[in-house]
Amino acid sequence: MSSPSSDSSTPRGEAWVWFTGLGLIVGLGMVIGLLALVVLNGISVFWAPPVPVVQVDDGRTIIGQLAQRRIRPGSLASDPRYELQFQVGLRELNGNSYLWVDEAKLKGEVFPADILGLERVENGPAFLRPLTLKRADGQEVPVTSPAFSESFQQEVAAAGATREKLVELTRHRIGDVNSEMEAARIALRRAEDRGQADEVAEQRKLIATLEARFADLRTEAQGVAQRGEVAKLLGRDAAGREVTVPLSQIVRGWFPNQLDTWGRVRLFFSRLHEFIFDEPREANTEGGLMPAIFGTLVMTVFMSLLVTPFGVITAIYLREYAQQGPILRIVRISVNNLAGVPSIVFGVFGLGFFVYVLGGSIDQLFFSDQLKYNNNTPVFGTGGLLWCSLTLALMTLPVVIVATEEALAAVPRGMREASLAAGASKWQTIREILLPASAPGILTGVILAMARGAGEVAPLMLVGVVKLAPTLPVDAVAPFLHLDRKFMHLGFHVYDLGFQSPDSDAARPMVFATTLLLIILVVCLNLGAIWVRNRLRARFKGASF
Amino acid sequence: METSDKKPTETPAAESRFTVSPITLLADLWMGRLIRFGGLGVVLAVFGMLAFLVLQVFPLFVGARVEALPALTVPASAVAFGEDEYGELPYVVLADGTIHFQRGSDGAKVQEWSPALVGRTVTAVRSYPRAGLVFLGLSDGAVLEAKVSYRATFDAGGKRALQPIVTPLEPVQVGSPGLPCLGVWNAKGAQSRLLVVRQESAGRPKLSAVRITERKGLGGKARVTASAPFAVAPELSDLEQVLLPSTADSLLVVTGTGEVRAYSDDGVGMPLLQVFRPFADAADARISAAGLVFGHVSVVLVGQTGVHQVWSIYPQAQPDGRSLRRWGKIHDPEKLPGPAVGIFAAEGNKCYLVGAGGELQLRNMTTDTLRWQGPAPAGRVAQVAFAGNYDRFTALTVDGKLHRWKLEDHHPDSSWGAFFGKIWYEGATEPAYTWQSSSGSDEFEAKYSLVPLFYGTVKGTFYALLFALPIALTAAVYVSQFLRPEYRQIVKPVMEVMASLPSVVLGFLAGLWLAPLVDPHLVSLFCALGVLTPAALGAGFLWSALPQPWRRQVRPGMEFVWLLPFIALCCWLAWQAGPSIEAAFFTVKDTASGAPLADFREWWRQTTGMSYDSRNCLVVGFVMGFAVIPIIFTIAEDALSNVPQSLISGSLALGASRWQTVWSVVIPTAISGIVSAVMIGFGRAIGETMIVVMATGNTAVMEFNPFSGMRTLSANIAVELPEAAAGHTHFRALFLGACCLFLLTFVINTLAEVLRQRLRERYKVV
Repeated sequence: MSSPSSDSSTPRGEAWVWFTGLGLIVGLGMVIGLLALVVLNGISVFWAPPVPVVQVDDGRTIIGQLAQRRIRPGSLASDPRYELQFQVGLRELNGNSYLWVDEAKLKGEVFPADILGLERVENGPAFLRPLTLKRADGQEVPVTSPAFSESFQQEVAAAGATREKLVELTRHRIGDVNSEMEAARIALRRAEDRGQADEVAEQRKLIATLEARFADLRTEAQGVAQRGEVAKLLGRDAAGREVTVPLSQIVRGWFPNQLDTWGRVRLFFSRLHEFIFDEPREANTEGGLMPAIFGTLVMTVFMSLLVTPFGVITAIYLREYAQQGPILRIVRISVNNLAGVPSIVFGVFGLGFFVYVLGGSIDQLFFSDQLKYNNNTPVFGTGGLLWCSLTLALMTLPVVIVATEEALAAVPRGMREASLAAGASKWQTIREILLPASAPGILTGVILAMARGAGEVAPLMLVGVVKLAPTLPVDAVAPFLHLDRKFMHLGFHVYDLGFQSPDSDAARPMVFATTLLLIILVVCLNLGAIWVRNRLRARFKGASF
Repeated sequence: METSDKKPTETPAAESRFTVSPITLLADLWMGRLIRFGGLGVVLAVFGMLAFLVLQVFPLFVGARVEALPALTVPASAVAFGEDEYGELPYVVLADGTIHFQRGSDGAKVQEWSPALVGRTVTAVRSYPRAGLVFLGLSDGAVLEAKVSYRATFDAGGKRALQPIVTPLEPVQVGSPGLPCLGVWNAKGAQSRLLVVRQESAGRPKLSAVRITERKGLGGKARVTASAPFAVAPELSDLEQVLLPSTADSLLVVTGTGEVRAYSDDGVGMPLLQVFRPFADAADARISAAGLVFGHVSVVLVGQTGVHQVWSIYPQAQPDGRSLRRWGKIHDPEKLPGPAVGIFAAEGNKCYLVGAGGELQLRNMTTDTLRWQGPAPAGRVAQVAFAGNYDRFTALTVDGKLHRWKLEDHHPDSSWGAFFGKIWYEGATEPAYTWQSSSGSDEFEAKYSLVPLFYGTVKGTFYALLFALPIALTAAVYVSQFLRPEYRQIVKPVMEVMASLPSVVLGFLAGLWLAPLVDPHLVSLFCALGVLTPAALGAGFLWSALPQPWRRQVRPGMEFVWLLPFIALCCWLAWQAGPSIEAAFFTVKDTASGAPLADFREWWRQTTGMSYDSRNCLVVGFVMGFAVIPIIFTIAEDALSNVPQSLISGSLALGASRWQTVWSVVIPTAISGIVSAVMIGFGRAIGETMIVVMATGNTAVMEFNPFSGMRTLSANIAVELPEAAAGHTHFRALFLGACCLFLLTFVINTLAEVLRQRLRERYKVV
């Protein structure tokens, strides 16, 4: 396409070629910029920077980690004035974990080595200068002692183990007793209603034993909790006030100004591990995301289990069985166009049909007892995992159908005819020739469907995603997969934390980290699909694909 | 395959190795059936989805169903009635004040209560069925109030029986002593109660009122104080009808000359506020019937010819420039067949029954629609009341019949006009398209206009496409026609990754990161955006002007690499220039201090009078670009790169430059594909939900201001559906929105698909 003539005049319209190049630059810039923004912000959440002691003009002293720098609201672009946001922690003392400081009023900052950062179970983080550690065995270790750091970490680990024990006690054992008690109460109400006297007596007895067990467990839990209260950390905050933090409250402690790079990396991975494998704390603004990750995965997998067979069967029907003609063309266009219907419409359909009509009927048919004796609490007649998966399956159905149809169409005609000529039946041809040959294409479609399903939030808001689910949709209690349970979802987590959180400053790092995780999940699924498709293309290079 | 099927039957003697195993045949048969069944099922389910949505919306457009129940015969002297919640035990009040309870099922008399009147007689009766209150105006100008309540009792067999209880209060002297009451009215407002009686002296009507205030004492015991009787409307010479709104702070009087006189409480008395003659232009200006509609801020008036108007109280500009709440006409419903015999409002919604020309009409005031029409009972109607939860109404006629109707009207507030029309709502100063689905008050007129939502949808889509179209299309042209193929392998997946970014992430970044960031730098941003095009074109011209050896440095298809630093530099310079430009062009006086202020936001507010929100359309448009650009890009790029190479080669061979080839051969050939790409992008932008929910204020305003927010159909559903009660009008209105979205995107995508198929045909011909 180089200039046809050899003279030095420029071909006409070259400037416009450059102009079209602009679109590419802006488009690529947008994607790369966005990804970079999310990755940087998401990763920096886990990184522990040095923590300064800051002197402000108005006489305040602040110990805190720098969170943001921004133009002061109301300040003009021509005369920008900046302010810094410090995460100072100790919410119970300061009222707020975050402080804005006018940049012009900063007098100076120093990085003393003795500053201790704490992540706590309640009231957010804390930054303080430790004085003494009161150990569980009653010994006191002053900060000046060389053993301070080591024994502090030991005590934190011990407190963590105690906390885990408590969680095991309260969440699992007491929770089990609670759910048994709930079932017994429903049985009792039913028996009372039906006038079965012996059954009533039996259920009453059961409830009494359960209550006794409940009381025992609670005493045990209180005992464990009290023993954990012994170990304490004494310190001073920026203003010089004495602060006492029970070690049972401390999740993690670190000396941000003493850490070497390796220490920071270890801290980074420790936090990352917590983020992925632990449960959320503090109204979801801290701790981990395990329930949301798990919920997203279970929902996506369940959705793809639903969508794959239906999508593939429909595609085979449309391509191999249905009478080709104008009607089929209309059907095909309609199915394709379903992919362009807004996701919220599927949510509306899911709520109206799946939840109210289907779920309502299931409740009437199979759970009428539950409804009657449990204050009309619906089982399937409310949002839940099953309805979410079905709604998203319906939404992603066209993706799978189109991908499968294309893959089937790409199988060379010769292969199909050879199979039939060799005496294979139609089904045998499909099973042995068409499906294996189009498997990568189908897989691409399924992966794309999963990617779309995993990132979708709007319909899920209507059919069963919640901000905090007490239980996972899969657990060790029969029937193991609880289709009626509400669950947590990464995308909804982003929406909820970003927009419904009472403390948006505290939620901000978590939203960025969640966003990063969600994007990694979705982008990986997409790249996987692209990779599979490229392999497929290479394989059928000779064919008309 | 057919041959292999038939072979065994035709030649039974064939060798067994030629016969097909029955298992294979069975599997083939059943899998075929399964696939047919499954495939058809899924296709039907897809169409069933639309059918379901339509089915959910359908009840919105169904009128009321009314079924007449057998009438009860009551004593002929009955003048008023009331009933319990389920109509089991209705009562009538006779002219002498006796309350007569009859069983609703068979009309058998159950109980009777008579007032204890010492030397006085009952001269006026009024019953308020919903409150269970009966007011008896006495011959000496006093008013006796009786409260009717019911107690449910269960006998040994668990059968429920209703027991009526009548509790009379002490008579209150309201009118002038000695004159009989000719009419009595009661209204219970938020603070106090107003009792009004009508008397007559020397042929002139005389209205008197008493205000009764009930204060809860510290001990919980109510202390009732009644004001001294005061005269209302002493100037009246004739009087047809008195309307006492339940707010108890005003009074409407309809006179025989067709005047409506409004009196309003000013704390001392009730002076005249306003006089209006609704039918002054008609040949007969008299008013045949008037009635207040639920909420009691609107009055329905019917003239002698059946002309029909609704007046409401709303702020009106006065000649002196003040804005005062005055009565004004808000609706002109269609003419009735004749003068009305009465107007009877429903409770809980804005419907009313009107009897005219031997017919009963159930009409909705807000939407001006006729919900039901049927024959009126034979006798003259004394009182009509709606009962229960707007599921029954009852009429008492003077011939001693209690006519009862069963009413089924689940969505009285809905109609085409309610969803798509401009409606003058109560209290509003002009007709408007409004979406406001809930409010703190029960008497609130639900406003379900989908128009502002459509407007918001179109507005958001417009700004999204404004931004996305140039980028997506130019990128598609460049990538498909000019970019070196090895880079194309990278660019396309990157664009696909862009398409897969979850919209909740984009919404979060738009609302919480971009909006506050852009806010102070608006002018800089505009400068940077504005400089993009000239910079790119300038770079092109600059390069064209270079001598050829220099030009050779830029290999074809690699222009973007050279363009990138140049563009970045230009944008940076423009960004830096932003504050000076803002200072030069957008300086206004600070409203507070009067000092000059170089602030675009303030300038925009003062110059255009429009609002400025930090979460505005431009932010949404920009971020929606992430969702729309990759879609348009992918489809347009496909269409462009599928243009047959022979056409391009031919054009180049004839001496056209590469741009001339693209502009006059490639783009015209692929134009239907490009249009289809734009339409599909449009469809995606219409339905985008999370970005709009998170990055705008979600206010349903109707202005095209780029610096304000909007509320789109999809965002509206996402925000309101979780709170809407299933089956309620609001719920179904949201389904209607979803239906519209479905149809809109479906039609657009179908058109796009048809266009694309036409393009494919064209390539075939070429």
